[in-house]
Amino acid sequence: MRPAIAQYYPGDSVVHRLDARAKFVAVTALAVALFVRDAFAGLAVFAAAGVVAYALSGVPASWFWRAFRPLLWLIGLTFLTQLLFAPGEPFFSWWIFDFSWEGLQFAAFLSLRLLVLVLIGSVLTLTTAPLALTDGLAWLGRPLRRLRVPTDELALMVTIALRFIPTLLVELDQIMRAQRARGADFGSGGPIRRARALVPVLTPLFVLSFRRADELALAMEARCYRPGIVRTRLHPLRAGVADAVLLAVTAAVIAAGLLV
Amino acid sequence: MSASGERGRRRHRAEAGGGPAGVNGHAVPVPGPGMALWCHGLSFSYEEARAPIPALRDVGFELAAGRSLALLGASGSGKSTLLQVIKGLDAPEAGEVGLDGRAPAAPEYAALQREVGLVFQTPELQLFAASAREDVAFGPRRLGRPETEVQAAVDEAMELVGLPPDVFAGRHPYALSGGEQRRLALAGVLAMRPRLLLLDEPFVSLDPATRRELARILARLRAAGVTLVLATHDVDLAWALCDELLVLDGGRVLASGPWEAGEAGQALLVASRLREPFLVELWRRLGRDPARAPRTAAEAAEALR
Repeated sequence: MRPAIAQYYPGDSVVHRLDARAKFVAVTALAVALFVRDAFAGLAVFAAAGVVAYALSGVPASWFWRAFRPLLWLIGLTFLTQLLFAPGEPFFSWWIFDFSWEGLQFAAFLSLRLLVLVLIGSVLTLTTAPLALTDGLAWLGRPLRRLRVPTDELALMVTIALRFIPTLLVELDQIMRAQRARGADFGSGGPIRRARALVPVLTPLFVLSFRRADELALAMEARCYRPGIVRTRLHPLRAGVADAVLLAVTAAVIAAGLLV
Repeated sequence: MSASGERGRRRHRAEAGGGPAGVNGHAVPVPGPGMALWCHGLSFSYEEARAPIPALRDVGFELAAGRSLALLGASGSGKSTLLQVIKGLDAPEAGEVGLDGRAPAAPEYAALQREVGLVFQTPELQLFAASAREDVAFGPRRLGRPETEVQAAVDEAMELVGLPPDVFAGRHPYALSGGEQRRLALAGVLAMRPRLLLLDEPFVSLDPATRRELARILARLRAAGVTLVLATHDVDLAWALCDELLVLDGGRVLASGPWEAGEAGQALLVASRLREPFLVELWRRLGRDPARAPRTAAEAAEALR
């Protein structure tokens, strides 16, 4: 079973090869600019940049849909609340709701802004391996070490968590199957019954996770892991010309988006 | 059923008999009679991100009631998938599993499917209850059986796997040893009184004593008429326990039918990254007919005396 977290699409495109740090900085800057600028024209510029990045990444559109689908209800909700409650001159009224052109425009704008945000953000997560992203974030967080924030250790924790999500999902699946073979039923009954049906699954899963954590800690110690020291990496992060180009292009896009 | 009702009166015979009670020749009721099984044209693939991975391709075989089948094949050949498809945890893309001569369309099929027991690889991972008794009772309770019957089935199953209830029923599952946990998990399936028992690598990571113990339990089930399907890499134990053979290779059936230890059989096992059973090889090296090789060391000793 392949769990459906599906955030990373392995590939070797220009976008994939960019340094995780550069991509993270570019996406963060674009996201901030996206929320500063409140006109459709600016939105169009940022959307165009996202679409170009998407096209360069070679990720099938269906994968974007997968990233987008869980947020659909949020975007729909945003649209509805803005449409119903934004102030403006109503052209149509029903019960306590007033529909206005301004409200419609504002609702459309906010929804589109969320859509573009998901588009830009998903380019980062779809083209950057989770481990590279964590390493990049740890590097970007380095200055915080001066404030005694254990950034490397935090990054390691995230890395380990990410590494074990698929493993635990596979084990969860196995345990659920084993209990189903013994007659367990996870799909029927009210919420309380369903929650209770999970006991035979969660107990073994927790026991297994703790055992695994213990073993991993021992194995790390056996290989001389020590917290509090800067570790070297097998694949050090390496920024190149392409990353400088990315940042320059991003700056140009942001300038264009803010000025049009 | 008579012996199992006398909970509390039974003594732990581990010290006396060299093995826990209920296994060393002590009369313990067992489930039965066995269920016949057939599979026709079974195909199944796992959904993956890029392309589905086929795990079973056109798998077909028949197994008469009360027979025992060794399911052999290299890792990744589809053994576990086949067992889960037979139990009905995965629906095949094509083909059918017949139980007791009934196709899935038959109205009594769902009831028959509940009489199929599946023991997963490392089944001790499924233990969850606060006591051994509660854990073993989970399955029969889920089947909606009356509580007296559940308790009788629990006693019977625990006795059968050599964990006498008067000693083990109140123990916490995680306080048991690895071998005891595995036998307890087996009891959890046996308490549902399966007529067809599917076992996925039951011998993995057990010490030799527990392994022998488990083999003895399976031999008892077999003698009681339960149909067995045993997926394993341990060809010696499979040879001792099984009269039929199904070899899978990349999801396809390489061979199926009665397990006869001829020249062709040897070539087949070697081609499937297996080896022939030790006793068969011994018979060959002794210049005897491997097709008549003994199944157990005791039989071999008898023949060589």
